[in-house]
Parts: sequence; structure tokens; C-alpha cells
Amino acid sequence: MTPPRFRRLLPACALVLALSGCGGNQNTLHAVSHPEHEITNVFWVVFGFSCFGFGVIVFLLFLGWWRREKPNLPRGGGERAATGVVLGMGIALPIALLAALFIWSDVFVTQATSAPAKGSTALSIHVIGHQWWWEVRYDGTDVVTANEIHIPVKTRVDVELSTADVIHSFWIPELNRKTDMIPGVHNRQLLIANKPGVYRGQCSEFCGLQHAHMAVEVIAQTRSAYNTWLANQEKPVPASALPGAKIFQQQACSGCHQIRGTPAHGDVGPDLTHFASRSTIAALTMPNTPANLLQWIEHPQQVKPGNLMPDLKLPNADWTALERYLETLR
Amino acid sequence: MTATAVRIARPNGWWGMALFVATEATLFGTLVGTWIYLRFENAHWPPPPLPNPPVLTPTLLTLALLTTSIFMQLAWRAAREWRRSRAWTLIAVAFAIQVFYLSWQLHDFVLAVHAFPPRASAFSSVYVTMLGIDHAHVLVGLLLSAWLLVRIATKITRYRLVALQAITFYWHAVNVITAVVLIVTVLPSV
Amino acid sequence: MAVAAPEQRLARLERIWLERPGILGWLTTVDHKRIGLLYFWTTLVFFAAGGTEAMLMRTQLAQADEHVVGPETYDQLLTMHGVTMIFFFIIPMTTGAFGNYLVPLMIGARDMAFPRMNALSFWVFLGAGLFMYSSFLFHQAPDAGWFDYVPLGLKQYDGGLNIDFYALGLIFNSVASTLGAINLVVTIFKLRAPGMSWNRMPLFCFAMLAASLSLIFALPALTADLIFLELQRKLGFHFFDPAHGGSALLWQDLFWIFGHPEVYIIVLPAFGIATSIIPTFARHKMVAFPLVAMAELLVAFIGFGVWAHHMFATGIASTTLVFFAGASMIVVIPSTIQIYAWLMTVNIGTPSFKAPLLFIGGFILFFVVGGLSGIMFAAVPVDQATTDTYFVVAHFHFIIFGAAVFPLLGGIYYWFPKVTGRMYDERLAVISFILTFIGTAVTFFPMHIVGLLGMTRRVYTYDKGLGWDTYNLVETIGGFVIAAGLLLILFNIFWSYRRGEPAGRDPFHGGTLEWTTTSPPPTYNFPVVPTVSSAYPNWDEPDRQEDLRKLERGELVLDAGHETVVSSVNDARFDEVVEMPPESPWPILLAGALTIAFAFLLTSHWFVAGAFLVLTTLMLAGWHSQEPEEA
Repeated sequence: MTPPRFRRLLPACALVLALSGCGGNQNTLHAVSHPEHEITNVFWVVFGFSCFGFGVIVFLLFLGWWRREKPNLPRGGGERAATGVVLGMGIALPIALLAALFIWSDVFVTQATSAPAKGSTALSIHVIGHQWWWEVRYDGTDVVTANEIHIPVKTRVDVELSTADVIHSFWIPELNRKTDMIPGVHNRQLLIANKPGVYRGQCSEFCGLQHAHMAVEVIAQTRSAYNTWLANQEKPVPASALPGAKIFQQQACSGCHQIRGTPAHGDVGPDLTHFASRSTIAALTMPNTPANLLQWIEHPQQVKPGNLMPDLKLPNADWTALERYLETLR
Repeated sequence: MTATAVRIARPNGWWGMALFVATEATLFGTLVGTWIYLRFENAHWPPPPLPNPPVLTPTLLTLALLTTSIFMQLAWRAAREWRRSRAWTLIAVAFAIQVFYLSWQLHDFVLAVHAFPPRASAFSSVYVTMLGIDHAHVLVGLLLSAWLLVRIATKITRYRLVALQAITFYWHAVNVITAVVLIVTVLPSV
Repeated sequence: MAVAAPEQRLARLERIWLERPGILGWLTTVDHKRIGLLYFWTTLVFFAAGGTEAMLMRTQLAQADEHVVGPETYDQLLTMHGVTMIFFFIIPMTTGAFGNYLVPLMIGARDMAFPRMNALSFWVFLGAGLFMYSSFLFHQAPDAGWFDYVPLGLKQYDGGLNIDFYALGLIFNSVASTLGAINLVVTIFKLRAPGMSWNRMPLFCFAMLAASLSLIFALPALTADLIFLELQRKLGFHFFDPAHGGSALLWQDLFWIFGHPEVYIIVLPAFGIATSIIPTFARHKMVAFPLVAMAELLVAFIGFGVWAHHMFATGIASTTLVFFAGASMIVVIPSTIQIYAWLMTVNIGTPSFKAPLLFIGGFILFFVVGGLSGIMFAAVPVDQATTDTYFVVAHFHFIIFGAAVFPLLGGIYYWFPKVTGRMYDERLAVISFILTFIGTAVTFFPMHIVGLLGMTRRVYTYDKGLGWDTYNLVETIGGFVIAAGLLLILFNIFWSYRRGEPAGRDPFHGGTLEWTTTSPPPTYNFPVVPTVSSAYPNWDEPDRQEDLRKLERGELVLDAGHETVVSSVNDARFDEVVEMPPESPWPILLAGALTIAFAFLLTSHWFVAGAFLVLTTLMLAGWHSQEPEEA
């Protein structure tokens, strides 16, 4: 066998190093909530036992390697002893360990991460998966937004999950497990963040061409910041004299998008009422900057090939006007 | 003279058929499972305004079909004792009943497709699919029996004897499957 | 019968079992060894195709925001990679190539139970593979993932022929798999050499038996699912849409009722190869033989009760969750039994780490890694956190590539001398092991990390700044190392086939019956149908001496016709001698007609398709008008 023992340990060390720090911001093992803590605990315990089990196997394999071609070395017991090892290590020990893991993880921890009882939370949000973006509705208000979920910190939030088309899966790795959004099924998930921050998530059930560009952000804010945000989102848009506003209504835009306070009531694409207050475009495909916005509205099929927003033919001046108008939707 | 006397176990051909029947029975298990699965997805089964599936005709037809198991078994027994013409007659009787069964059922199947249009609901989709696949299995049995009738008309060989044993087993299985399909499909009406 | 010298008997056997020469001989062959080789080379071509798809995907993923292929192509590549590796490489390679070639040799038979059906399953498999791959010609390869979840796979979201290729191709292919599995089971039940009762049957055959039985009972669920899908796509039936009383989860349940047993169908033959190679190179019988045999059958059985662990994130009821989590833990036990049995056999024997055993060593390590991460999926909360990420991709590639393909590679070296009569090059073999071993570890281990870092599966690209870039680059490099190792194995095969040392009958002193006959085996496999009194008959010198004396006496030589011995199912008592069918053109013609029928089903020309189905029926009648001679 080629690899000396340390080569085998390297990946494990790398794993510990990579995961204990908070490298990316979609790190499953960087728990910021009680449920996710429970999950990571189970993971690390199983990981520990796995290292032990792997060590035993590697030891036995290298014992064989060390004894290769040498029939005269002590045999380490005969057939009976070997069968004994099979019975003990192959049956008894795993049954004991697995039974313990089963009771701990599948009976207790599963409950800790499960959806809250209906109506048991102060806040509930409805998230609807679309090819390839997220619609977010705040129950009991008019607020509709997209790809950005604002929640107050340290508050239990009941997230209702459904889909407008194919199966998607809602997953904010630092906050909780993932839950599928399935036609005809209404799943729910508990969302809670222990400290303010931006937590990235991504659709995790293959949903077609732009599955890769269907990300979402959970923004956990202090209670007062959240209230301010919510109050702003509830407001419709005041009438605008900008030329872009007129273009928006006259062109195909208004057929698919809604801007509350204007005649645009399309329900195919995301609600744009407070578009400029969002930090990204097209489900985190790019940051929401004027240059990116212009590129996106002009060439959506280049930025996110296959998405449902068509490339329209408009004079250049119109694109700039549209972009200026959208920037005002704060 | 008796080839069976020296053999101590069932022939390869029978085992092949038994395994084929096992996989087909699993297919029907899946169909029945789907029926039950979808039943729990629907508050009303069949969903209104669909009528309940017919009971009387399919039940009588299935009972008739079940009798062919007896004829096939007797045919195999006769053939095992090299009584060729008796075996042939018994297969022919079974064949006649099976043809009668299938023609009537196909006629009713066309009616069923109109009464339960599969494009209308999951109920009619699974109903029509299950009936259709069942009838297809009866059709395969008819083709097998027809082949037997042609071959045994002239001579019984060991090869044909094994074929008869296997095909008899196939008919037993198809008859049981048909009975199960009948029970499942008439349940909403009972 | 006149007294004849052994040479005359052998000459007569040679004459009786001779098949037509040339290409035509290969097209009409019913010899299980030739069909095994046809399977071997065909599946290798599919392996190359699936590997190319994998390398294209890895190149696309080597860096963030790469543009090697677009999303449309990427989705087709990822779907076809999965479909190819599972349905057109591993299953036909294990049950088709290895099972076909080796099972009759290991149980002392002269062919499979149904030789013509054996040829038919190969040609149907080839037809299905060509059907599936022809989709690339129309840029309409399946693109909704190998498990093709609905509604994404419905007409509404996938309007081309992509999914029709997938559904019809797999229905077509399951005809081949089912026929092949039935053939293997009957062969193992009925054609075992006299004396080979269950407790004396090689563990390889137990593994093949378990895999074949699983196929027989698992495939119908997939077939039904695919029939529903096609009825919904082509004729507007309703099975999967809740608006008409259907259910999107029905697809998943049925798919995984097939899909999880499938995993064991994939790895069981690999276990079988491990249990063949280890005793030979450890020079010791398998430890806990009956336990291992039972474990192989048990794992196939329990494998039917764990499917919902693929669906833990779908929001299924918590009681269901707990049941399937428990079953998924229980299914670990048969595997731990086998792992310790293998390791203890190596340790109480006198191991010789030749290339085949090296590959088995690699297999054990990878299988343990994949198994341990598998246990994590039985812990529901961890599953719900890691499912559909690269952690899963890592897990099942350790199982499918590490645990299923490594023994295949070891098996190729192990039986190479038997099949070709020449030795492979040991030094090249060790280098190829090192390359594939390092490549596999480097490709798939970082996927665990990147999965835990939140990288989801089936993304055609990813953003910078999520900490995934380096790992992905490393994985891509590892992929190319694997490819180099595999090409080296291919080179070794070709080179050794021409230049290798003559291997002789039994270069490794293996224990099972295939080593008792010459290399390559004669068309009739054994001069005398052997009689067996233990699980390692080639190590029973007196029995083999007795076989030679039987050749002198003409006992069980069966040189009166194209015959083999049929025995009783349980204790393999001699039952009768049966005439085996000769070569036949019907299988390939029938498969051709079926392929055309499926092509017309694809294009919705129902009547033409129906006409070809009628034609296949007529062909079947023609096929069965040829009967063996009455003895």
C-alpha cells in the first residue's frame, strides 16, 4: 500500500481546520441558531466515532500489509478468534453504537430541528419557490419581496414553504436543516438567528437550468431595525414623473412585475415595489449596482441564461431611463 | 416413457417463468400500491362526477377466467402422461374461455376509457392503466397458449412439455393477478 | 458408447461446442464467455462516455464562473453521467460481463441456463444504450438528473424529447436487466455442479444471486414509474400533478423503492469480487463464510426497506422518518460483518499484496469512508443538513467509484490470465493502482468539505468568495489522475494481451472452479463436469484427480451432444442432462426490431411501433420453433 498513515490523516486535519473556522458564509457547521447547533453536535460526534472506526480498519489493513508474504509470523489466533472479531466488531459493537446514535439523533435532535407548531410563533413568513428566485410574503401585511428574508434576531419565525412550479428546497445552512418545496405540499420550517447578520442560502433541489443561480439571503436584524424595514416595505410607491416609470408601464415589464402603487400588477416575476432596497439582482446572481442593473435589464439571457425574463429590444436611452427609475424604488 | 420420472426437481423453464412471474407480480404490486397511494391523496375516490367502476360484468368474467386455471392444470397432467389429444383439447377449452374473456374485456375497456377519461383525473389514469396492463398480460398468455396449441397439435416433446408446465404456471399467476386487480378496482363500489 | 481415449473425447467436445467463425459468429453466439466479453467491451465504451461527461463537468467546475459548457449542456452531461454509470456501465459490467463470464465457470456449468436469452439481453442492452445515446445527436439528451424528479421532468417544464429518451430508454434497458437477472438466478439455482450445495457455493455467486434477485424485485417499481411518466408526458394522463389528484412525491417514492436496492445491486457484485480475491491472495478460506453469505443476501433484502432516507427533506411524517432512519442503521450491519470478515481473512492468512489485492485494499478503505458518511445520513438531522450537497456526492462516489469500481478493476487483473491465458504486467498494475487510488481520494474527499461548506449538487457553476474554489480545483486535478490510472489499466490489458507471459491454468492458486480449467477456458468450459465437496474445490486435490479419472472413463464428459448437467436446487444432486440450444440469429434480430419499436414510440408513431412489436412476437414464435433434439 502506497500511502503512509499520515497521508490519510491529512484530509481529516484539513477538514477540521476548514470547518471550525468560518470560511465561507454557507458553512453548515458554522451554527448561528439552536437547531443548527444540535445538528453540528451530532455531526461532530459521529465524525469522531467515524475517525475511530476508520482507524481500526486502517490498522487491520496495515497489519496484513506488515505481515505480507510471511507465513511464519505469529498468527494472531486462528479461525475461531477471527470469527470472534467478526461477531464482536462486525455485529455487537456497531449495533450498540448505532442504537445510541439512533435514539439521540433520530428521536431527540430531530424534534429540536423540526417545524414549530402552527401559530406558536410571533412571526410567520411564506416563502414561495419560483424558477429561479424566491418570493417572500409577510403574513398579515402587504409586504412582498424577493430573494431577501428579513427577520428580527432571536425570534422564532415560522416559514411556510411552497412552490409555484417545480420542486425547490429551502436551506439556510447556518440556521437550520433544509426543507423541500413541493407542489401540493405545504412544508414549514423554524427559522431563528442568535445574532444579527446576513446568512446565505441556496436552492438545494435540482430545479432546472438556473438551479445554480437561485440563492437567498436571510438578514437578521435588531427588532427596531426590522420594524423600520417592515414599515418601509409596507408603503406603496408614490407616483413618479421619471420617464422610466412610463416605459415600465408601456413595455412588457409591467406584464410580469408588480410595483404596488402603480398599475403594474404582473405576477410572473418578482415584486419590484422596493427593488432598490435589495442588495442583489436575480436571486444573488449579482450585486445591485447601477451598472449591473443596466446589464441585467438589457441582457437578462446573457447574465442568467434560460431564465424567464426575455431580452427586449429598446432604444439605449430607454434602458438608462428604466434603470434610473428602478433605482428610485427604495 | 415417462420423462418426468427421472427428474427430481422442476425444470429450468419453470424456474425462468417463475422468476418472470415474480417480477410481473411486483409490477402489479406497484400498480396496486400506486392506487392506494393516490387514494389517500384524494378526498373522494373516485372523484365526482365520475361514477363507481362497474362490478358485475368484470366479476363474472374474472370468475370465468379463473376456471381456465383448472383446465390448464389438467392439460399439463394429461401431457405429462403423454396423452396428447386430451391435453390439446383441455388447452383449447381454456383458450376459448380466455379469448371470450379478453374480447369482452377489451370491449368494456374502450367504454371505460370514455367513462373514465384518463386526462381528467389521477383516479381514471391509474384505473385505466391498471386494467390495460392486466389485459396486456392476458393477451401475452393467449399468444403463449396459441403457440402451445399449434405445437402440441402434432407431437409432445420434452421441450413442449416444459413449455406447457411454464405456461400453465403463467396462467395461474395471471388469473390471481386479475382477481387482485378486480378486487382492488371494485372496492370503491362495495 | 464405444470406449474412447480422453483426447478423442475432448476433440469431440470441441467439435460439438464449436461456433461459427468470424464476425457472424460473434453476432449469433450463445457462448456465455463470448457474451461476457461483448458485455465487457460495450460497457467499457459506455464507461468511457460517462467518464468523458464527468471530466467535462469537472473542467467546468474547476473554477468559479467558468464557461466551458453552458447550463443546458451541463444538465445533459450530469444526467447522462449518472444514467450511464449506473445503467450502462456498472450493472451490465457486473451482472453482464463478470456474472456471465464467471458464474457458469464457478459453478461448473457449460453455459447459462438460457443461452439464447442471454444473447438477447446483451443485444437489448446494446440497443437501449444506443437509443439513449442517440439523444446527443439531436441535442436532446435527458437533462433532469438521473432521478428525474417531477414536475421538472414533465412536459410543462421539459418540452423536448429529452425525458422521453430517458423514460423509454430505461424501460427498454430494464428488459435487458430483467432477462439477465432471471438467467443468472436460474443458472445459480439449477446448473450448479453435482455436490455444490448452497454451503459450498462460491460467495461470488451468492453476491450475484443477491444482486439478481434484487434486480428482479426492484426494477418493476422503476418501470411502473417510467410508464406513468410517459403516459403523462405523451398522452396527458395524471399521476404526478396535485391539481388532478396526483402526487409529485409518488414519483420519488417509486423511484427510490427501486433506487435504493439499486445501490446494493451495484455494490453486491463488488463484494463478490472481494470475497473471490481475498481468499486467493491471503491463501486462506474466507473467515465466517456462512455469515458472509447470509450478509450478502440480507443486505439485498433490507435494502428494500430504506428508500425514504432519500426523501428526509421532503417533509414526510416523523414516524415514517424514524422508521426509515432505523432501517437505514440496520442495513449497516451486514456490511460491517463483511468488512471484518475480509480483514480477518487477510490477517489469519499469508497475504500477498499483488495488484488485485491492492485494489481490494483500496476498496475496503473507500467503502469504509463511504459507509461512515452513509451512517451520517441515517441520522435524520445530519441528513437534512447535508443532503443535496456535495457531501452526498462525495458519499456516493466513495461507494460507487471506490467500493463498486475498485473491485471491478482488481477483478479485471485477477481474471485477466483466466480470460486471455496471459499474465498482466504487475508493475504497471501497481502503478495504475497508485494513480487511481490517489486520484479517487483527491477527487472525492474534498467534496465532503465543500459540501459541508454549503456547495449544493447539480450546480453548473458557483460564485467566488464562498470558499469553494480551491477544493473544486483540487477535485478536478484528481479527476484527471483517475483518468490517467484508468487509461494505464486499459494499456496494460492491450499490451499484456499481446506480450504477456503465458499464465497457465492457475497462476494465483485460486480456490474456485474456474481455475481448474485451462486458460482461456475451452468453449465447453470443463472436460468433465466437476463434482464438488467443499467451497474451495480447486484446493481439493483428490476431487480434481477424480475428475481426470472420470475423463478416462468418459463419466460426466457429456460428449454425446451439446449438453450440460442440471441439478436440484437445494443440495445440487444430479438431476438430468439437458440439451443446450446452439447459436442463433434470433436474439440480435429480435433486439433490432425492439429498438426500432422503441424509436417509433419515442416519436409517437404508435401504429408503426405496434407493427414492430407484432414483428417481435412473430420472431419469438420463429425462435421457439427450433427445439433441441430428443435424446
